[in-house]
Amino acid sequence: MSSTLTKPTAPTTPATHVHALKPEKSYLGLRRPDHSKSVIIDWMTTVDHKKIGIMYGALALFFLLVGGLEAMIIRAQLIVPENDLVSAQRYNQLFTMHGTTMIFLAIMPLNAAFFNFLVPLQIGARDVAFPRMNSFSLWAFIAGAFVLNFSWLLQAFSELGWFTASGPTAGMTDFVPGMGWFGYAPLTERQFTGVGTDFWIMGLQILGIASLSAAMNFIATIINMRAPGMKMMRLPVFTWMTLIVSLLIVFAFPAITVALGQLMFDRMFDTSFFQVAQGGQPILWQHLFWIFGHPEVYILVLPAMGIVSEVLPTFSKKPLFGYSIVVFSGAVIGFLGFAVWSHHMFTTGLGKVATAAFSLLTMAIAVPTGVKIFNWIGTLWGGRVRFDAPMIFSVGFIWMFMMGGFSGIMHSAAPADAQQQDSYFVIAHFHYVAIGGILLASISGLYFWLPKILGKMWTGKLSTWVAILSTIGLNVAFFPMHFLGLIGMPRRTHTYLSGFGWDGYNMVCSIGAFILGFAVLLFVVDIVLLMTKGKPAGNDPWNARTLEWATTSPPRSYNFARIPIIPARDALWEHKHGAENRKITYVEEGSQGIHMPSQSWMPLVTCFGFVPLGLGVCLMQAGVAYMGYVAIGGLVIIALGATLWAIEGPGGYHIHPQEDEI
Amino acid sequence: MKHSFRGLIALASSLIALALMAGCDTNTRMSTFDTKGPIAEAQLGIFMITIWVCLFIFVVVGAVYIVAMFKFRERENDDRPLPVQSHGNPLIEIGLIGASILLLVIIAVPTLRAIWYTHDFPVTEESKLGVWYQGEGLSAAEEDKPLTIRVEGYQWWWGFAYPQLGITSANELIIPAGKAIRLELRSKDVIHSFWLPRIAGKVDLIPGRSNGMWIQAGDSIEDWQEKSGATGSDEELRGAYALYLQEEIHNYYYGQCAEYCGDSHARMLFRASVVSDDDFASWVSEIKTGHQAPDDMAWEDWYAANDESPEELTGDINEGLQLFMSRGKCATCHQVNGNPRAVGVAGPNLTKVASRLSVAAGWLNHRAEDGSVDVEQQYANFFKWIKDPDTVKPGNLMWKANGGGIGELDELLTDDEIHKISLYLQTLK
Repeated sequence: MSSTLTKPTAPTTPATHVHALKPEKSYLGLRRPDHSKSVIIDWMTTVDHKKIGIMYGALALFFLLVGGLEAMIIRAQLIVPENDLVSAQRYNQLFTMHGTTMIFLAIMPLNAAFFNFLVPLQIGARDVAFPRMNSFSLWAFIAGAFVLNFSWLLQAFSELGWFTASGPTAGMTDFVPGMGWFGYAPLTERQFTGVGTDFWIMGLQILGIASLSAAMNFIATIINMRAPGMKMMRLPVFTWMTLIVSLLIVFAFPAITVALGQLMFDRMFDTSFFQVAQGGQPILWQHLFWIFGHPEVYILVLPAMGIVSEVLPTFSKKPLFGYSIVVFSGAVIGFLGFAVWSHHMFTTGLGKVATAAFSLLTMAIAVPTGVKIFNWIGTLWGGRVRFDAPMIFSVGFIWMFMMGGFSGIMHSAAPADAQQQDSYFVIAHFHYVAIGGILLASISGLYFWLPKILGKMWTGKLSTWVAILSTIGLNVAFFPMHFLGLIGMPRRTHTYLSGFGWDGYNMVCSIGAFILGFAVLLFVVDIVLLMTKGKPAGNDPWNARTLEWATTSPPRSYNFARIPIIPARDALWEHKHGAENRKITYVEEGSQGIHMPSQSWMPLVTCFGFVPLGLGVCLMQAGVAYMGYVAIGGLVIIALGATLWAIEGPGGYHIHPQEDEI
Repeated sequence: MKHSFRGLIALASSLIALALMAGCDTNTRMSTFDTKGPIAEAQLGIFMITIWVCLFIFVVVGAVYIVAMFKFRERENDDRPLPVQSHGNPLIEIGLIGASILLLVIIAVPTLRAIWYTHDFPVTEESKLGVWYQGEGLSAAEEDKPLTIRVEGYQWWWGFAYPQLGITSANELIIPAGKAIRLELRSKDVIHSFWLPRIAGKVDLIPGRSNGMWIQAGDSIEDWQEKSGATGSDEELRGAYALYLQEEIHNYYYGQCAEYCGDSHARMLFRASVVSDDDFASWVSEIKTGHQAPDDMAWEDWYAANDESPEELTGDINEGLQLFMSRGKCATCHQVNGNPRAVGVAGPNLTKVASRLSVAAGWLNHRAEDGSVDVEQQYANFFKWIKDPDTVKPGNLMWKANGGGIGELDELLTDDEIHKISLYLQTLK
């Protein structure tokens, strides 16, 4: 495998020196834009997994702030009873977009950023298996995010009186999705909601394409591109979790793709999948959605577990306790994740046997999750624990994620869930998992890896304040929500009456949310400080364990000057501290140097087609003239881009690193 | 190091403060802790088991976790050799997996029992309609059956039909205490969820299918006897049981739609009055009879007078009724039992609407401290609701319904007209 990597994989003109390279022309005379002098063109056409990762990460942080702003408005609305800061419709749109944004536009791309940047480095590869497809995933994500959020613009136009819906959704005034992030039919039918739902369908469908192509890319990369000696059971846990998550995406997303397709047909062509009047079954949507939706929870959280499994051993100076069990339990969680979807539906009248089965299976999933927590604590035990910024957040993750796990166990008991379902108790539960779990782990990961990514080291102690304020904010905002749910406040209510004992709790929750929001802003400030004032980080600032720390910070375009041969798990740690026979050695490079893939416009062009396609379909539903042609135009662009992609020629060039480079 | 401790201390103290704050306020209107029926009680029982198991794990794991962080922390100028590079211990792993499974079994067994209990309708003698219902309108075929109520969800109000008794009501559910009652849950538009927290957890109303659940306010006489340990003759026991129902169970309960159902989901509330068997029977009979025309006229006479010379029917009430029937178009959607021409079914049945303690599906309330109707507040609420339904309940069909809403009248109702309609509605006691 490594031998194919070190030799050119395509017939290219041998180049002796990097500067002597000329971009190659394809059969049609298309030029692949290598070595563009324009930074913008360079980033737009890049196929470098690191640059793609950085773009994913930057956009994820942007959408984290957008989703956070939506959350702040939600909490401001709920701070006192019968508040009228926003209207019912706007509130419903805000919570729908908050959920959709945080899941699909913040956490998933943030995870994709980590996957992209880290996985090739961690397995000793020079890039992902399909570099252009990687670029395609990124631009498809951007197109999906754009289509979804374009709805805000339309809503603004409608408020200003510049736009009214006609045609199929005449008279409807909701242009932003407002039916909840799991879009239960039949509320999503044309009879009940307007164009917002179409934006949601098209946006999610495009985002699904992005996720699916990225997932297949990572599966191929992890299976095929490992450096010699990097056996599966030597993979860093983060890479393992990436593999499991990618498999989950491949198996879970088809369910929602089908469901969204059916819903789109219901809305556009009046089919009867979910329309009761025509014999459709709304409950079918729930099954399809949650067959995707529950694995999605693990798609979001397993990378967080992977991050923590890297940070804890590094800052304990000790290998992960029970590596194989941690990996195996990750796989079991992923597998069981497909067998518990109906625990989201305990109140839909499943009947005794199905309720009991899903109740027990849901309890069963607590076992592998608990195993991970035990193993993390076992990692600390007997170690030398250093509380640097990444570690503080990982330690907080375990604590807060455990809290979310407990309320999860409470939900698994179906009779108790009958009271908790759709109440604020559920909100508390999944925010402990999402913020206490995923966000804290992601911040931990950013504190850990940003020095590698940007090549600069953190300055000052702002991280401590981020940690303190985010933990306090999280708990003040969401712990009272457990009680709020148990004393009867349903979720997704834009306001509430006084006299139910909810006022005080809501006030406290809102204050906590504002503290949390401030903590996230502080984190952004810390990143800005890092970028502007950070000192060079060096290759291995944390005395870390895995291969990405063996190369430069930031890594060069070709990652490793020479392909490493991996003698053991925790390769770098063993190299530094292990026995003599566990040192990293290197594959002899041939005289042809490192083969690099050429950059390409075609992923961007192809994905650009998603924009007219998505907007065309949505605006057609709003009765705008000629939008059907725009949508078809989008399809044409996609077909054209994909065709040119196929015939633009393999490209590639060679780089000859210096003798002493690592 | 000291920074993270500061964080932990701050975290711990804020948690404790919140827990204390939380402890004092759980006897509220929709509290799942203050249960008044066997279903909610069973659900709370399961919840408390999960709480204790989780608390146990939290304390044990949390203690080990804190010790691990403290004991194995790096000291200042730590120059000890690297810690032992151990990779795990299979025995510990298997032990912990076993212990986790054991703890889950503690939850699983009662959970299964409770799933069956909350699903299976209890067939008891005293819940049979023929045994406790002494009122009118019951066919012989229904006497051996329990009371069945059809709960219908609409955007954004509730219909409560009692098919065995041939009556329909809305937004305020009236049920007898101590009887197992079957609910048949249906929706006419989108998914809703029936949640009466102090009596039972929720079950969804899904269009195109009929869901079922059973509820019971207060214990059955056997359960009550077992719990209270009361003894005595049959008659004494019945007396004491009736007293228990009257003092602890007869009450006004608060419920709400728990599944997001569109714009005004937050304002789709309902109420449940739990009453004695006698009160229930007389309520049924009043609903069946319905209302007289104003001035104690028979309906035929009133309509005859109205058709002939409407201006001769004077007074706010008569004019209110005229507006209700004609210009306001209220009767297109609303039914008022007794009135032969007010037979609309698209909106809530307004029979005895003035006896209800709220209007607009629980959003506008006029329940006085003593549980009676606050008449002034009721007038204000009726007025507000008819004047501006789209603000009270955005998106609702009373305001705009494809040309049929009062917001779509060529000329909107004037304040004076709304005043008269409100006064008329207040006579529907």
